[in-house]
Amino acid sequence: MSKRLWTIAWHEYLTNVRRPGYIFATLLVPALGLIGLIVATFFSGQAGAFLESQFTPDGPTLIGVVDHSGLFQQVPAGFADQYRAFADEEAARQALLADELRAYVVIAADYVATGALTAYARDDLQTAMSVDPDDLAPFLIDGMLAGHVDDSVRRRAADPANSAQVQLVTLDEAGAPVAAAADNPFSFLGGMLTSLGVSLLLFISIMVSSNYLLRSVSEEKENRVMELLVSSVSPSDLLWGKVIGLGAVGLTQVGVWMVAGVLLTGGLAALAVGVLAALNVGTLLLALVYFVLGYLLYGILMATAGSLGTSMRESQQIGGLFSFGAAVPWMINGFLIANPNMLLARGLSWFPLTAPMMMMLRLPYGTVPVIDIVGSLAVLALSVPAVMWAGSKVFRTSLLMYGKRLSVREILAALRRA
Amino acid sequence: MNDPAVWADRLHKEFASVVAVDDVSLEVGRGEVFGLLGPNGAGKTTAIRMLMDILRPDSGTARVLGQPPGAARARVGYLPEERGLYRGLRVHECLTYFGQLKGLSRAAAAQRATQLLERVELADRAKAKVQELSRGMHQKLQLATTLIHDPELVILDEPFQGLDPVNVDLVRGLIRELRAQGRTVVLSAHEMSLVESLCERIALINRGRIVLYGALADLKRQFAPNALEVSPPLDCAGWPEVEAVAPDSRTPDRQRVYLRPGVTTRDFLKALLERGQIVERFEPASMPLDEIFIKVVKEAQHV
Repeated sequence: MSKRLWTIAWHEYLTNVRRPGYIFATLLVPALGLIGLIVATFFSGQAGAFLESQFTPDGPTLIGVVDHSGLFQQVPAGFADQYRAFADEEAARQALLADELRAYVVIAADYVATGALTAYARDDLQTAMSVDPDDLAPFLIDGMLAGHVDDSVRRRAADPANSAQVQLVTLDEAGAPVAAAADNPFSFLGGMLTSLGVSLLLFISIMVSSNYLLRSVSEEKENRVMELLVSSVSPSDLLWGKVIGLGAVGLTQVGVWMVAGVLLTGGLAALAVGVLAALNVGTLLLALVYFVLGYLLYGILMATAGSLGTSMRESQQIGGLFSFGAAVPWMINGFLIANPNMLLARGLSWFPLTAPMMMMLRLPYGTVPVIDIVGSLAVLALSVPAVMWAGSKVFRTSLLMYGKRLSVREILAALRRA
Repeated sequence: MNDPAVWADRLHKEFASVVAVDDVSLEVGRGEVFGLLGPNGAGKTTAIRMLMDILRPDSGTARVLGQPPGAARARVGYLPEERGLYRGLRVHECLTYFGQLKGLSRAAAAQRATQLLERVELADRAKAKVQELSRGMHQKLQLATTLIHDPELVILDEPFQGLDPVNVDLVRGLIRELRAQGRTVVLSAHEMSLVESLCERIALINRGRIVLYGALADLKRQFAPNALEVSPPLDCAGWPEVEAVAPDSRTPDRQRVYLRPGVTTRDFLKALLERGQIVERFEPASMPLDEIFIKVVKEAQHV
């Protein structure tokens, strides 16, 4: 690696991070986040309180019970703070009108046969909405079973599935429990979130950085600096210098966004990343490797696209074709939950343009065959020098074509001249 | 020529079906100012780009400062025809960066940039942005960029384009300085009077081929083989030795005398003396370069 490569990289970095447009874009995202946070705070303070008052009235919470069935003469001990028994409807009505009760329920004489209940509440929306017959279920079940079954069965009947104790074990095709899912009921969800989060970050980083590369090359072509540059340094020094320098520009931007995200969420994002990292260090290390290779591949392609167009707009259209390739894995993301190893996903993992994003989406599920990881990394690693070789040929030919785009035939001819 | 600065042997380059450079061979000696002339689209820029390794020839070989094209990048200064600079950078910063790209350390490049800006009379614009410069200033900055690393060989493609007479004079002065320092200059230009005043040898390219090549003085004489420049003008139109008389287009106090076939310079001098004419100046005529240029290019069109 020549000294000039680093001169170019440093120059590209410095001139780009100083651009007003760059500083604006870098600060815009945290600024929007901050505005969002302020709005959210406002709503949780103001609107939140309003909504809360709608659904949890601050009036009385007690519910009166008037029993004609003979099953609920006494309120069971566990429900004393929620229910009060009344001898007749008149007494209950008086208590309701005196605002001692939120509502009262009249249980019909033939309740066991019909399940008939009548609830009485004050005629306003708040109260009416807060009385839900389903809420009565534990009380009714408990009352009916009292004296018939033992207490532990009674309590379980009122709360059949303790959500804190529910486990989900997923089985693979051989019937063995899948490790990640067995360890922790949330690891499946965690996998999905890591998968989305890391590949989104990868996608943004690669696209942001490689787009800077496209802009820089296309600008040099528009400014007619190119010929002077390639008379001073070799095209490959120039390309590598730009790829490194502008990769750092993109990473700086994404880095600022991430730090801002951590600060704005009060460390929540950092905590999330920490938890996910603890879940799977290997996945994050692989993400780094996929990022480097993916960026190199896309960076070189975008730089070449930048040299192909006659104007920035045209170059961006050409570059857009490559970005589309990066977005394809997202389109099939929905199907991955069902099967992260579906054939299409495996195929896209072996194709260099889609490999980084596809593998990042699949890896966190923890069930990707090792051959896919090794294979996709190998294909990526081999395609980088190949694209670099072809890119600098096309680059060299196209950068002198002012006002005229290279035809496909000319591109092929450039490639033949090794 | 021993160890020429530039040596090209049958360079050939085609684009699609157009032959841009057709078997061009030439040599440029160390320390000379060499003119590369030709009408627009003749192939000069393509030839230069092959010497700079920006284009690869389809066939033929070249050596620049004794090395294959591209290998001696750091010792060559190149002013491209299609040129521009980083518009958003400051003048001094831009110049320093190109110095670094040519292999200078940052400090050396910055120091040299200051000197050169002084030399091209842009020192007061050192902190201005490149895009704030006028066209002429931009051109001078571009030339300073070419010279930032004190190159042994300087290739200038249309250096006078868009310059006013004062700046033309400045650039001409720079080229003369380069020659005085023993640098080699390859100059492509359309301003024939400037080429005449700067170049020792030229190559005239037309439609990709070299149609004239050699020492400028020889070529000029070769194109006016039987004529004399005489001053002061004399009334000799009726003499038997003389075929025609024409005033010199550039210097009105001189006269060009075309001799009849078979009459030598010596015969005419004898006739002058016999007639007792006062002669202050008497020399074999040479054709002005622009006339040669037009003649050669037009003749080629008729072929």
